[in-house]
Amino acid sequence: MTQAEIKLCSLLLQEHFGEIVEKIGVHLIRTGSQPIRVIVHDTRTSLDQVKKALCVLIQHNLVIYQVHRRGMVEYEAQCSRVLRMLRYPRYIYTAKTLYNDTGELIVEELLLNGKMTMSALVKKVADRLTETMEDGKTMDYAEVSCTFVRLADTHFVQRCPLVHATENSDPGPPPPAPTLVINEKDMFLVPKLSLIDDTLALAGIAQWIELWLQMKVLPVQTPVRAHAWVAGQVPGTGHARGKGKRRRSSEDDATGEPKAKRPKHTTDNKEPIPDDGIYWQANLDRFHQHFRDQAIVSAVANRMDQTSSEIVRTMLRMSEVTTPSSAPFTQPLSSNEIFRSLPVGYNISKQVLDQYLTLLADDPLEFVGKSGDSGGGMYIINLHKALGSLATASLESVVQERFGSRCARIFRLVLQKKHLEQKQVEDFAMIPAKEAKDMLYKMLSENFISLQEIPKTPDHAPSRTFYLYTVNILSAARMLLHRCYKSIANLIERRQFETKENKRLLEKSQRVEAIIASMQATGAEAAQLQEIEEMITAPERQQLETLKHNVNKLDASEIQVDETIFLLESYIESTMKRQ
Amino acid sequence: MAALRAERASPAVESVRDCRSLESGSFLSLPTFRLLFCPSLEALVLSEQNLPTFLVQLVAMAGNKGRGRAAYTFNIEAVGFNRGEKLPDVVLKPPPLFPDTDYKPVPLKTGEGEDYMLALKQELRETVKRMPYFIETPEEKEDIERYSKRYMKVYKEEWIPDWRRLPREMMPKKKYKKGSKSKKVDNTSKDTSLTNTADVLKKIEELEKRGDGEKSDEENEEKEGSKEKNKEGDEDEEDDAVEQEEYDEEEHEEENDYINSYFDNGEDFGADSDDNMDEATY
Repeated sequence: MTQAEIKLCSLLLQEHFGEIVEKIGVHLIRTGSQPIRVIVHDTRTSLDQVKKALCVLIQHNLVIYQVHRRGMVEYEAQCSRVLRMLRYPRYIYTAKTLYNDTGELIVEELLLNGKMTMSALVKKVADRLTETMEDGKTMDYAEVSCTFVRLADTHFVQRCPLVHATENSDPGPPPPAPTLVINEKDMFLVPKLSLIDDTLALAGIAQWIELWLQMKVLPVQTPVRAHAWVAGQVPGTGHARGKGKRRRSSEDDATGEPKAKRPKHTTDNKEPIPDDGIYWQANLDRFHQHFRDQAIVSAVANRMDQTSSEIVRTMLRMSEVTTPSSAPFTQPLSSNEIFRSLPVGYNISKQVLDQYLTLLADDPLEFVGKSGDSGGGMYIINLHKALGSLATASLESVVQERFGSRCARIFRLVLQKKHLEQKQVEDFAMIPAKEAKDMLYKMLSENFISLQEIPKTPDHAPSRTFYLYTVNILSAARMLLHRCYKSIANLIERRQFETKENKRLLEKSQRVEAIIASMQATGAEAAQLQEIEEMITAPERQQLETLKHNVNKLDASEIQVDETIFLLESYIESTMKRQ
Repeated sequence: MAALRAERASPAVESVRDCRSLESGSFLSLPTFRLLFCPSLEALVLSEQNLPTFLVQLVAMAGNKGRGRAAYTFNIEAVGFNRGEKLPDVVLKPPPLFPDTDYKPVPLKTGEGEDYMLALKQELRETVKRMPYFIETPEEKEDIERYSKRYMKVYKEEWIPDWRRLPREMMPKKKYKKGSKSKKVDNTSKDTSLTNTADVLKKIEELEKRGDGEKSDEENEEKEGSKEKNKEGDEDEEDDAVEQEEYDEEEHEEENDYINSYFDNGEDFGADSDDNMDEATY
C-alpha cells in the first residue's frame, strides 16, 4: 500500500471509529497479516482494547481472519475496503433514487452497522421512519421488508458468509475460529419471516392495502434529513446554512432526550429470532456496476443526444443479468430485442433505432460495437473500451486544467498518434518549437508523458537512438489515482484544521441553539429569544458563516474527487483483469 | 581535470581521453545530463560559460578518437535546443511546497444530487460519533471536574458482537484465582471491580488500625502478591502483564515469619545518639 493510501485510510478510520481502532487498523494495513499477540506487542495497546478494535473492524468487513497451521489465527486488513468509506454518501443517495426513502434508510443502516440480520434491520428502519411521520401513523414492517426483498433481488444487498455448521459431533476441542462459507445460489436468498409489529397488529390484507394507499397519497412523509433539506431550499435562507442550523438543532433535541426514548426500544420480545445467524451486507460491487453504467450513459448523452443515451441505457439494463460485471463486453443483443425492450414512453420507429445503432457503432469512441448481422444486427457494449475512454478523458481534462489548452492539444496529439518525435510534435501541433519543448518537458516531469527509446545500434548511442514521446495510459492513470488519494487526504486534514481552529465558537453556537430550542419548547416571548440570539455577536456570526462555507466546499470537493477515483480505479481493475 | 583548467586559460582545447563517456550512456533528463557530462560543475560555473558553448568545446575535445576536431557525437537538435542558446539554470532544490498555479481550478459541480450528498456526508460524520463502534480514547483525569461535563455525556448503546462468527480468542476472558480457564463473557467485570474497591477499602481500614505510615507499602505488597499468584495460576503462556486491570484482589497472606506491620528503614540507627552528647561513643 502506498503512503498516500495509508494516510487516507488512517484519516478515515479515525473519523469513523476513533483513535484506538485507527491505530490497530493502520498497523494491520502496513504490516499485513498478523496474529493478535504480535499486534498487541507492536502497537503497545492493551489486549482488551485490541480485541475491541478487531471486533469493530471485523463487524464492518474491514478485517478478515484466517486460521493458519498450528491453530494460529491471523488478521488481515483490506485497504481497498477502507477507502470505500469515502463513497458511503454516494451509495446511500443512489439507493434513494432507486428505492425511495425506505431503500435509502436500509442501505444507510447496513453501511453504518457493517452487517445486520434482516429482522433487526427491518425493525430499525421502520422505527426510524415512524419517528418522522405524523402522530398516529406508523410505518408498516411489511413495506420495509418488501423494499428489502427488492434490494436483494436486484443484488444491492447480499448475504454474508455463514458459519459452517459441522454435521458430525466434534470429539476434540472446537476450532479456534469458525470457517465462513457462502453458497453462490444462496447469496441473495431472503429468509421467510413473519415480522410481528408490536405497535400495530396486522389484522388482514385489506388493512395493509389501506395503509399503503394512505402513505402513497399523503404528501411529505419524509425522514428528518430530507425534510430539513427540502425546507432548506427556501430561497433567502441560503440552503447550506439553513440546513446546518436545522440539522444541528434537531440533533440537539435527539441527544437531549435519549433517556426518554430508550425504554421504548428495550422492549424486545424474547422469542427466538427466526433468521438468527443470517447476516446481510451491502453489495458494493453492484453499486459500482450501477455507477459505471451511469457514467457510460451520461458520456453517450454528452457526446450524442438523449435518444442514443436511452438506447444505451436499455442495452445495459438488458445485460445486467446476462453479463458478469467484470466482463470486457456485454453479451450480443439483437436490434429487435432492443426495440422491444425500449421504455414505454419512447416511440421511435424501427428504422430510426437502426440508424441510431449504426451511428453508435461507427463512432470512433467505440462504446457500442457490431458483432453480427442476425436478428437485425447484433450489438454489444464495449465495457472495457468505454472505461478506457472515460479514464483518458479524465487525464485530458486534468492536463488541460493544469497546464493550459495548448498543452492539452499536444497531449491529445500524442495520445492519438501513439509515438511522436520532438520535431513531429512541433509540426503537427503547430506550436513554435521553443514552447512545444517547454510544454513537453513540463508534462514529462509530471509523468503524464513518457519517453520511449528506440536504438538503432546495439550500443544505444544517444546520437543513433530515436526518442519518441508517448502516453502510457495505465501508468498515467495510476499516477493520477495516487495524486487523488493525496488530495483527499489534504482536504480532510484542512477541514479538520478549520474545525479545530473554531472549536470554541462552534460549541458556543451549539449551546445557544440548544437554549433557544428549549426556550421555544417551553414557550417564550420573541424579545427573550432575541436577547439570547444576540449572545453571538455579528463578527462571530460572520466567522461562523465563513467556516460553514469553507467546510461545505471542502466536503463537496472530497465527493467530487471520489468520483474521479472511481473512474480510474474501475479502469485499472478492468485492465488488470484482462492481463 | 587538466583539460578543463586549460580551457579556462585558452579557448583552444586539446585532450580527449576524459570524454570517452560521452559516447556511451543512455539519454538522461536535461539537468542530470549536464551533471554527468560535466565532471566538475564548478569549472563550468566559474568559467561563466553557458552550456552550448561548453558542449561545443567538449565535443571539440571528443572528436574522433583523439584527433581533437570539433564534431558532435550526438545530434544536438534532438535534445531540443540550438547552439548558442541560453538555457534556464539548474535547479538544485526540491520543488516548492505550495507552487504558484497559472490556472485556477474549475468550480465544483452543483445540483440537487450534490447538495443532498453533502448533507448526507455531514450528517453521517455526526452519526458515527454516536454509534457504539466509535471507541473513545480514555481521557486523562483533569484536575478540576467540570460541571458541564456531566451533562454533555452522550448516551451510547452497548454492542455485543455475535461470538459465533468470531475467533474464540476474541472473547474477553474472566479471571479466576488459581487459573481455571473460563470462556464466559465477562458480564461481571463491573461487579468484580466494585468488589475490588470494596476489598481495598476494607483493607485500608484494617491497616489503619495497625499503624499509619505503613499502609501504602503493605497495600502494594498485597497487590503484587496476588498478581504473582494470578500469573502462576493462569495457563496462558504469553504475557498477562498486559491484563493488569482485571486481576482479583484475593487476600492471600504470604506465608513467612515476618510481621507485616514491621517496617524499619534504618533511619533510627545512629539518630538517637546525637541527643545525649555526654555519653561516650565507642
